[in-house]
Amino acid sequence: MTPDSLTEPTAAGQPMPRRPPGVPVEIAAVSQVFRRAQLETQALERIDLAVKPGEFVAVVGPSGCGKSTLLKIIAGLLAPSTGKVEIAGRLVSGPYTDLGIVFQSPVLLDWRTILDNVLVQIDLRGGNLAAYRDQARALLAKVGLAGFENQMPRELSGGMRQRTAIVRALIHEPPLLMMDEPFGALDALTREQMRIDLEKLWLERGQTTFFITHGISEAVALADRVIVMTPRPGRIERIIEIDLPRPRHKAVITSRRFTDYCEDITECFMRHGVIQY
Amino acid sequence: MPGPWRWLRQRGGMIAMFIALFLLWEFAVKLFGIKEYLLPPPSKIWSEFLKRQSTVMTGAWTTTIEIIGGYLLAVAVSIPLAMAIAYSRFVENSVYPIIVFLQIIPKIAIAPLFIIWFGFGLFPKLLIVFLLCFFPIVVSSVAGFKSVDPDVMDFARSTGASPARMFFKIRLPQALPEIFTGLKIGAALSATAAVVAEFVASDRGLGYLLQQYNGQLETPMVFAIIVLLSLIGLSIYYLVELIERLVIPWHVSQRPTEMTGL
Repeated sequence: MTPDSLTEPTAAGQPMPRRPPGVPVEIAAVSQVFRRAQLETQALERIDLAVKPGEFVAVVGPSGCGKSTLLKIIAGLLAPSTGKVEIAGRLVSGPYTDLGIVFQSPVLLDWRTILDNVLVQIDLRGGNLAAYRDQARALLAKVGLAGFENQMPRELSGGMRQRTAIVRALIHEPPLLMMDEPFGALDALTREQMRIDLEKLWLERGQTTFFITHGISEAVALADRVIVMTPRPGRIERIIEIDLPRPRHKAVITSRRFTDYCEDITECFMRHGVIQY
Repeated sequence: MPGPWRWLRQRGGMIAMFIALFLLWEFAVKLFGIKEYLLPPPSKIWSEFLKRQSTVMTGAWTTTIEIIGGYLLAVAVSIPLAMAIAYSRFVENSVYPIIVFLQIIPKIAIAPLFIIWFGFGLFPKLLIVFLLCFFPIVVSSVAGFKSVDPDVMDFARSTGASPARMFFKIRLPQALPEIFTGLKIGAALSATAAVVAEFVASDRGLGYLLQQYNGQLETPMVFAIIVLLSLIGLSIYYLVELIERLVIPWHVSQRPTEMTGL
């Protein structure tokens, strides 16, 4: 399935409302050098990547390969040492605001209910909260949080809190979603369910999605393209197109082609000493 | 279960223990014939207190004003200062070391200086209460304002929120639990500070009365004043804790045990 068809009826056959497609992201010769106490660390070395509108890109790599740094640079939260990022043709020169962002920890606000934690996205933007309340409830219900709207974050499980964080990142319908190891702190079963739910949300909305992970099969299961990164210095080792049908049901992720993709990436890491036997 | 009953069930043991201790005290004094000027029995303390109630209560009022006035002054100065320290590198580098240095000076030792500078009135007492309460509030508040998770700030920046909006929606609520920790430490110190200030030089207040009665070996009155001072200190502490419960219920309710909750 090509990204362009995402706003059309999905494979499941349900007619979907047309949504603004995701934005294209252009990363050109981005390098990042950190200097700390006269010690220079090359965190990223010449990253070039063009992400198509509505594409789901997964970045997979070991800790320390600079993938979180890359995410921060794209989101405009960190200025690159050299190179530039353009989103929808506009140069990113400060925090880019037309996006949703999810981190490894849900970073919810302890003093707000689940519903208000979703709405803080609108609140911080100075938007009209009342206009988004129903939407927030509907979106929470979609990820299985109906009835939890008035609970406090600490009353929910880690998985539920992370679902809330994802809803918070999507409530304002951004054309770009940045996720930094969003399932990293969850148990394997919750992780699997979250992956399925995330794909559904993406199929419905079609926002360009940047998904950072160190789970190889998770990356293959979700992405249109997997970016394989290796550390010291952090750079793109390979880019693998994942040509598997969507939605990626059980039959797809247990297929021979799926495991071949995973093996391919594993071998790539073995060649670079990231995985050793 | 209705509220009062639950309260009684939770605190019943503590109350019974208090009563038992007082009874033990009362009878031990009588049984062993301990002299009154060494350790008066509780009944004697109470009866002496009733005799001089009006003098003592006037003193208590003076001391309470000093405590609350000095404490409020400390709150009013500490929190804005903590904000400045937390958000301005310049203020942090220039002012904070001076504050830490001042904290090392034993403040009780400079109390006599205040008498020389400001005389015997209310102001030097306010100043000493202020000085003792000030530091814990500043330190906790600075820690509170600085304790924001960097990911939370990255999220907030990604919304394009103005600095003022970020402050009131994120930084301030996030800092409140630690600010209240400082406010409670300050509250607990405030009564001590007022009494010390009165010890140094005063012609009124509970600290003054305490010294007078002590000098005349009127031990029952010394005890009465100690109890009264404790009650004032406790009331102020609980008042701050009550405000904490109202302001940050989301935080208070997640504390595993409530050591002081009455």
